[in-house]
Amino acid sequence: MSDSIDSLAASTKAIHKVEHSLKRRRVQEQRFKRVGLFAVLLGLSFVALLFINIVSKGYSAFVATHIAIEVNFSQEVLDPAGNRDLKVIGNADYRQLYREPLRALFPEVSGRKDKRELYRMISSAADFSLRDMVVADPALIGQTKTIWLLADDEIDMAFKGTLSRELPESERPVSDKEFAWIDQLKSQGKIDTFFNWGFFTNGDSREPEQAGIGGAIAGSFYTLLITLMLSFPIGVAAAVYLEEFAPTNKWTDMIEVNINNLAAVPSIVFGLLGLAMFINFFGMPRSAPLVGGLVLTLMTLPTIIIASRAALKSVPPSIREAALGIGASRMQTVTHHVLPLALPGMLTGTIIGMAQALGESAPLLMIGMVAFIVDIPSGPMDPATVLPVQVFLWADSPERAFVEKTSAAIMVLLGFLILMNLIAVLLRRRFERRW
Amino acid sequence: MDKVLTSDFKTIGNVRSKKPRMSATDVNVYYGDKHAIQNVSLDVGEGEVLAMIGPSGCGKSTFLRTLNRMNDTIDICRVTGDIRLDGEDIYDDETDPVLLRARVGMVFQKPNPFPKSIYDNIAYGPRIHGLASSNEELDEIVETCLKKAGLWKEVKDRLDSPGTGLSGGQQQRLCIARTIAVSPEVILMDEPCSALDPIATAKIEELIDELRQNYSIAIVTHSMQQAARVSQKTAYFHLGHLVEVGETEQIFTNPRHKLTEDYITGRFG
Repeated sequence: MSDSIDSLAASTKAIHKVEHSLKRRRVQEQRFKRVGLFAVLLGLSFVALLFINIVSKGYSAFVATHIAIEVNFSQEVLDPAGNRDLKVIGNADYRQLYREPLRALFPEVSGRKDKRELYRMISSAADFSLRDMVVADPALIGQTKTIWLLADDEIDMAFKGTLSRELPESERPVSDKEFAWIDQLKSQGKIDTFFNWGFFTNGDSREPEQAGIGGAIAGSFYTLLITLMLSFPIGVAAAVYLEEFAPTNKWTDMIEVNINNLAAVPSIVFGLLGLAMFINFFGMPRSAPLVGGLVLTLMTLPTIIIASRAALKSVPPSIREAALGIGASRMQTVTHHVLPLALPGMLTGTIIGMAQALGESAPLLMIGMVAFIVDIPSGPMDPATVLPVQVFLWADSPERAFVEKTSAAIMVLLGFLILMNLIAVLLRRRFERRW
Repeated sequence: MDKVLTSDFKTIGNVRSKKPRMSATDVNVYYGDKHAIQNVSLDVGEGEVLAMIGPSGCGKSTFLRTLNRMNDTIDICRVTGDIRLDGEDIYDDETDPVLLRARVGMVFQKPNPFPKSIYDNIAYGPRIHGLASSNEELDEIVETCLKKAGLWKEVKDRLDSPGTGLSGGQQQRLCIARTIAVSPEVILMDEPCSALDPIATAKIEELIDELRQNYSIAIVTHSMQQAARVSQKTAYFHLGHLVEVGETEQIFTNPRHKLTEDYITGRFG
């Protein structure tokens, strides 16, 4: 009888102790939750800050200011002999064609210095765009048309408002006079912004208004193509061998440790390796996407091998046993059953590896993709640059107009990276657990 | 008759069959240092069902897997002794395990159809072994095997649907159909009904009885009742030793070894 009373007292005491500790546990849990929430919010706010900063600086680069000029494609200037010889037409002086109408718009401008300032409002690209127009369609000769010509980068900034009037005249590249001209053109409806296609199609240039990421995009494309074509087959084959066929001994253990370590090596080391081996020893062309692709392959291989091995490991052994039990050889088991099931995981790892490779600049700087590339590369052997390196080069430029271009290029790069990671996430979600 | 003492592990009963398909002699299996199977000799007779019973961990599945060299996939496993299929040593250097597994099929404990269509599940084996020379022949093989496995009526309208979409019992019958599609001589079954409900189990046991006419079957089972229903010959394993073997009726009504009797009457296991 006393036994049961004792045990009752003991359990009541125990309940009190539990209740007391419960309060402390709840307080701890709340604190932990709050810390976690705070960390997430802090991270998100940094990301938001980064995006706002970049987008606010870069969105204006997607439009370019143009000035409407009434161009008289006069026969005397372009084709005096009248026999439509393309060489003659190509070599004609096109500057006259837009300088005259410009003077006509501002008749009060006189004196060499002022006139030079006036002419400066149109970008030097106008010469070439007019010439290209006439060479493509010689029937234009003799006609008068209103052409929207690209404005100079400083006028572009002034018109968009990036360059503020408030600054004292000595501190800005656009004088009060030029601002007055811009206002006049605006009131006449002869100055406006259009979508900046040139940003995506042009190569690099010293003139900011003519500079574009077309060359960098092509360079990135060829580089990534080479990287993908090399690293995916080699990575998958290595993972399949290590996971399915290799015996477990000291050597394979060492290989596994080394691969894991290589995934953590700073990427610039791969650049040094590429410089020493591919360029100095094998004599490959500098600055070519071929070499860049080879260097990035070395860098991405560990990532792909590790992801592929994880994908292969996740295929349940029952499927392998079923295949073996029917009399499939090991090779058939792997290629017919294991590999198709592991493929989505491998693809996800590859896409993530490619996204990493797209954003790399340090190893490519080492192999010489720092060059000032004006022409769009037409193949993997032409000298090229990649998007992150282009951003780096522009960030270094002194012209103010490159600031918005740098931010716009970063936006394009981020856009690609987000897209690739999104595809990887969607793929992973779609193919999870099909058995 | 006096019961044989517990400590004496010498096999009682006639391990040999009149017409053996597979013949094992003095088989020892080591997992690293662990001596999993000790000096087991046993025959799988033609046209009969051999049941292997015993408490958990006694080595029945291990022994079964040595018969079609599935233990080759385990690195630390070592097999010594003589195992013959139709008189040929299957552990000989010249024997191709791939060919062996086409002649000795296996059905696993948990149904494991390929994540392909029902048709492709059955057709895979004949395809890789080149057993069908045309699509019509392949269709025929698929139909015959599904009929033999008692699955044809249920799935004939949906041969393209995934094999993993079937119920547990249907999946196991699909696996059996897949196994017989390569025309094996021996079928090994490792607790085929342990993951199934009683109705599916009954269907499979019926199937085993039918298959007996064309194949030799060795089945590992945890259920003594199943062994009693399904087999003609029963072998009792205990801690890696083959303790007693004999006609099923004799084992279950009049076991000669004390350990066998204790297991059957439920004193352990």
